[in-house]
Amino acid sequence: MKLLTKASLRYLRQHVMQLVLSVLGVALGVAVVLSIDLATESARTGFRISAETVSGRATHQITSDVAPIDERLLARLRTELGIRESAPVVEGFGSSPLLPGQALRILGIDPFSEGPFRPFVVGGGLGVDVADFVTSRRGIIMSQTMATRAGLAVGDSLPVLVGGQAWSLPVVGTVDPTDALARAGLSDVLLMDIAGAQEVLDLVGGLTRVDLRLPEGAAGEGMEMAIRERLAPGASLLAAGTRTDAMGGMIDAFDVNLTALSLLALIFGMFLIYNAVTFSVVQRRQLLGRLRAIGVTRPEILRLILWEAAWIGTAGAALGVVSGLVLARGLVRLVTRTINDLYFSVSVESVPVEPVLLVKAAALGVGATLLAALPPALEAAGANPRVAALRSVIESRARRMVPRAAALGVLSVAVGWLVLEFSSRSLAVSFAGLFFVIAGLALVTPAGALILVRISRPLLEAVGGTLGLIASRGVVSALSRTAPAIAALVVAVSVTVGLGVMIQSFRGTLERWLDGTLRADIYVSLPGATATRAAGTLWPDLLDTFVAHPDVVGHSTYRGVDLLEEVGGYRLVALDLDPRGEQAFDFMEGDAAGIMQRFTAAEGVIVSEPFAFRRGSSRGDLVTIPTPAGEQSLEVLGVFYDYGSDQGAVMMTRALYDRFFDDPGVTSLALFVGPGVDSEAVVRDLLGQVSAGRTVIARTNDSLRTASLEVFDRTFRVTAVLRFLAFIVAFVGVLSALMALELERSRELGVMRAWGLTPGQLWRLVLTQTGLMGLVSGVLAVPMGIVLSIVMIFVVNKRAFGWTLQMQIGPEILLQAVGLALVGALTAGIYPAWRMARTRPALALRGE
Amino acid sequence: MRAIGALAMLAAVGCGAPEGGETLQARLSLVETLAGTDTVGYARALEPRAFDFPVDHGPHPAFRTEWWYVTGNLTSEAGREFGFQFTIFRNALSPTAPESPSAWATNQAYMGHFTVTDVEGRRFYAYERFARGAVGLAGAQAEPLRVWLEDWTLEAAAPQAFPLRLEARDDDVALRLDLAAGKPSVLQGDRGLSQKGPEPGNASYYYAHTRLPASGTLAVGGDTLRVTGTAWLDREWSTSALSEGQVGWDWFALQLDDGWDLMIYRLRRADGSADALSDGVLVDPDGVRVPLDWGADVTMEPTGSWTSPIDGAVYPSGWHITVPGRGWDLTVEPRLSNQELDVSFRYWEGAVAVGGVGEGGAVVAGSGYVELTGYAGEPTRP
Amino acid sequence: MTLPERTLGPNLELIDLAKSYREGDRLHTVLDGATAKIAGGERVAILGPSGSGKSTLLNLISGTDLPDAGTVRVGGVDVPALTEHERTLFRRKHVGFVFQFFNLLPTLTVLENLLLPLELTGSRDPANEARALGLLERVGLADRSESFPDRLSGGEQQRIALARALVHRPGLLLADEPTGNLDQDLAEQVGELLEELASSHGTTLVVVTHSRELAARMDRTLRVDHGRLVEAAR
Repeated sequence: MKLLTKASLRYLRQHVMQLVLSVLGVALGVAVVLSIDLATESARTGFRISAETVSGRATHQITSDVAPIDERLLARLRTELGIRESAPVVEGFGSSPLLPGQALRILGIDPFSEGPFRPFVVGGGLGVDVADFVTSRRGIIMSQTMATRAGLAVGDSLPVLVGGQAWSLPVVGTVDPTDALARAGLSDVLLMDIAGAQEVLDLVGGLTRVDLRLPEGAAGEGMEMAIRERLAPGASLLAAGTRTDAMGGMIDAFDVNLTALSLLALIFGMFLIYNAVTFSVVQRRQLLGRLRAIGVTRPEILRLILWEAAWIGTAGAALGVVSGLVLARGLVRLVTRTINDLYFSVSVESVPVEPVLLVKAAALGVGATLLAALPPALEAAGANPRVAALRSVIESRARRMVPRAAALGVLSVAVGWLVLEFSSRSLAVSFAGLFFVIAGLALVTPAGALILVRISRPLLEAVGGTLGLIASRGVVSALSRTAPAIAALVVAVSVTVGLGVMIQSFRGTLERWLDGTLRADIYVSLPGATATRAAGTLWPDLLDTFVAHPDVVGHSTYRGVDLLEEVGGYRLVALDLDPRGEQAFDFMEGDAAGIMQRFTAAEGVIVSEPFAFRRGSSRGDLVTIPTPAGEQSLEVLGVFYDYGSDQGAVMMTRALYDRFFDDPGVTSLALFVGPGVDSEAVVRDLLGQVSAGRTVIARTNDSLRTASLEVFDRTFRVTAVLRFLAFIVAFVGVLSALMALELERSRELGVMRAWGLTPGQLWRLVLTQTGLMGLVSGVLAVPMGIVLSIVMIFVVNKRAFGWTLQMQIGPEILLQAVGLALVGALTAGIYPAWRMARTRPALALRGE
Repeated sequence: MRAIGALAMLAAVGCGAPEGGETLQARLSLVETLAGTDTVGYARALEPRAFDFPVDHGPHPAFRTEWWYVTGNLTSEAGREFGFQFTIFRNALSPTAPESPSAWATNQAYMGHFTVTDVEGRRFYAYERFARGAVGLAGAQAEPLRVWLEDWTLEAAAPQAFPLRLEARDDDVALRLDLAAGKPSVLQGDRGLSQKGPEPGNASYYYAHTRLPASGTLAVGGDTLRVTGTAWLDREWSTSALSEGQVGWDWFALQLDDGWDLMIYRLRRADGSADALSDGVLVDPDGVRVPLDWGADVTMEPTGSWTSPIDGAVYPSGWHITVPGRGWDLTVEPRLSNQELDVSFRYWEGAVAVGGVGEGGAVVAGSGYVELTGYAGEPTRP
Repeated sequence: MTLPERTLGPNLELIDLAKSYREGDRLHTVLDGATAKIAGGERVAILGPSGSGKSTLLNLISGTDLPDAGTVRVGGVDVPALTEHERTLFRRKHVGFVFQFFNLLPTLTVLENLLLPLELTGSRDPANEARALGLLERVGLADRSESFPDRLSGGEQQRIALARALVHRPGLLLADEPTGNLDQDLAEQVGELLEELASSHGTTLVVVTHSRELAARMDRTLRVDHGRLVEAAR
């Protein structure tokens, strides 16, 4: 081994704690980035695979959101246009008590049409009798994996709940795809003959879509034209994948948010590495100076330091990749759960070990380490041994840097702010702006810290006497060391504050909104419906029974139809409002009563804030809605706050809806009971009137409110986990930075010990100092966190989801921040204090 | 005879998995479906019955299988010769239709085969398709007669069925023919009950129109030609037909210029011998049926062979047929040696030219169709 | 400004001191039965070759290290018998240090370095600063009070260190090679200062050195020889 390497290795061995923390910091950063990447990627892949599996080899699809496609279209396509490669699909979702927590994709197909599309249907294996499949009533074929999980074999029946209706579906066969892709694609599919699927999904006479294989070129274009001529209004012919892409695009904002948060974790990791490497360089200044003196060149020194960093980075990245994989398994559940709650049904069987993502994360880890190590390495290499060794030079330089850094920071914040202000709606640019703001705030930190330390001096003196003063002076006099540590801690804590305030504001806004919106006493819907996914319609006879209940004095009905366009999806809602429910809407601008009056008179529609935001439409504009009666241009009468879905909603009166749609269905029902009536009792009463085989969900105002907030909490669990992880990374960073800082002072402390600093005083000195830094950081992190939360709430969130949130700052979050910083910093002081207090001063003085 | 229908559909719907290379092994196979041998619940051909036309031109859904089988030789105005096959098979997937509110619910599945032989162009076009007998995709009805699979149709142009209009197209090949009744229908076997196996019920109801003057248009190879010629319609329905040990058959439908028609089939046993239930019939120019006793009244010997480029299967190609009692001595040659249908169940069915000595010792020429099954790779019975 | 009233420093008794260090598998004995008596106010030089245990002896006297056997009495106080805490307080009150490598805190100014030991004793006397400045004057560096130590030359730094060692008026001043790092002229200067400051305060002074010139300035010279202390001929 080269002696140079040996020297550096021995040094590292003596500072094993720092080494471990550095590696840990990189590992954590990499793990967080990787796991988020893997989790969102798995969800996306799961979605894409199942979309591809179910759409097979189609080149085009005919779809219609506004009404099912007339099933007779298929014969017309085949006979009139000779489009043979066309397959009808009836698709919907259900659930089974035997497969809890899983949305089941019911895929109704015609096996005779499937040859060109879904080879798994006719793929030439032996086993299932197609005659049974086609002629058995409501027979299903499921994956062997799913059958095993449900404990079923061919011949058994799977109980399935679709739109509140219970079915018992005989299993006529199982598929056991050998290739992983097909296995993943079929993981949530119940394959049915189209006849059975129409019956179970309540789509008799209709098709969800028609898959097509059209030739390329002029012939195909001719066919497209001919097909379009035959489509009912509201139906459209799209290239395959368009819809999947549009649907997949629904989670873009969610995805970008998570990724940005994970990158934040990596940035903390970089701070940490920067600190660690800086310290290792600083501490070895003498060693490095001597090496230079005996003829080691600057590039060699640079290489030595970077080489070390590379090893730390590699070890950290390796550890991070492994723990990222583990972490991803946990996160993917949270992520898919959220996507299922908010966007679309997706099932992820496993987290695929995507080599690309692993390499990316590892490269990011090593790259970030090298990048973070570069400035100290350059400094070490560039060091003129004599001048650079002068601590006072560094410190006075550091002190001179403070105002400059602050000025630069203010500039950076300003730039960030401008970027945020003037950037378009691009989320990526918004996050870039956010990072500018964060970096800027970090640069202002040292100045803030100096001011705070100065302010706190009398307090410290009062509490800690001279030691307090010494501790305070230590923070200032070693600014080149303390400033980065404080900045790292401030950034980390402020991000957790920012996220915390954002979540809290979001939740508070949602609560207020729910209070305003949930005007009725009882809400009735079908199981399986979510914010962005309707699940069938209520039975008309049940509706009548419920409305006729003696305690019910009024009702509103709600019909939601989910529409998907290339710019994104939204929900079209038909409202039959009871007068009592008319004040449920909180409009962004305009006179609510006037708007509602025009709305009730069917003069136009009202749209939700996310819808208006996404389309850039505002009050008075026209929106175009596809309907079976052709496209309708309707005036936007008002824009209302709505936190139910980030995809947006357009609402019209039932009367207006009925003019365009031949769809008497009701998705949910709101009931008003008389004064003094116990809603719970009415709910029990109503549920007792539901006939066997049907399931409806009837909830009181309170329990719906609670359920909504539960969904919210579940949705934000990922964010909360990230917030926690970010804090852990920050904590480790602070721990290692402050620890290194204190360890570096061994000699200094040794001198003081020799002069008569008692071990108890040493403890107090060290802990006062780290505690002071923690406290300063915590206090600085509060305003910074609030600034960040303002950006996140009013810019990023608004751009990502189109929601206006009301800011809400709970004192507990702020106290938590200060407390966390303080505890983290105090913890960091324990080891050095313990070590130094134990060491005989003579030993400490002996030095290197 | 043409039990090909039942057997072809056994292998059906594999539909040439287009891009191939699929590793997915689905436990779902239409082949398997249609190979079902369960006869319980279906009607059986147990004894002769009274045929009632035009009703019997229509479907008999209580039986498992049924087909409308049209073959013929055509000549364009410029003298180009063509052969064609147009078949629609009906197959019941279960004895009764499933109960369901859905229009897609049915127990009737349809398969179609359509071929055109371009003798001069030495091209053989073959197409296959499937559909369920529902929502207008495929079906059959008696009055007025209409049998269709998407845009392949055979329908009555008049209430009493004939003339029939046949239409089929795929890719650039399109055929549109009007078929007149040249002779009345002929009941095959014992008054239309054609025994295929020794067991009762292993039989079909079988009638044919052996001579249908045809005219219409044929688009092929970029040309659209006016064509005339002679076609043959076979109608058969059954629930089970073949028995153990029967591996395939050679079937001949020959139309001679002097107005005589000949139909013979040899059921081959696994050992290569002819099954005793092989059969034949002559139809005189007036449509009178003359039964032939296989072995005594008719002989058939292959004179050559042809090897399939697909799997190396060796088919007989060219035959020598005699009806010793009437002095007939005929040579049958394929108009094109490769008329093998590369569809889900592979078989050879093609246009042939006939020459030799016919009724009354006169020299005759003619044309016809020959069907050869059980030679290709797969066994004819699973 | 006037120097405070002269009082004699404590006497020292070194009794049968033994100290070994483990170095890998080997036990390296530096002191073995070192015994000596030093009177209050006496100035003693300890000579000996490198590694002979001179510095260890100083560490044992100050209580920054503990003997394996034997004891040290400073003004009658049995130092090794004290607790760590008591030893520290004892040191704080009675002992001043001058090291070979100055050991000034680089992040504190000259004046701050001087004030630190006073602050450690908890003394908040406004006179402290005046006293520190007075000492700086004595060592001839009053004009450098706001400089950082690493901007000073070696001789200057050692003079600061000397001032610092005396700023809290210790009875006992321990100096470890105070001139070892200085050139001839500077060594002379520092030696003179050391002698002068110690005698003007009546401080008991123990100087570890191998500078004969410095030793010659002392009242008496002891030599570490094979772990023992022997009186050296003058």
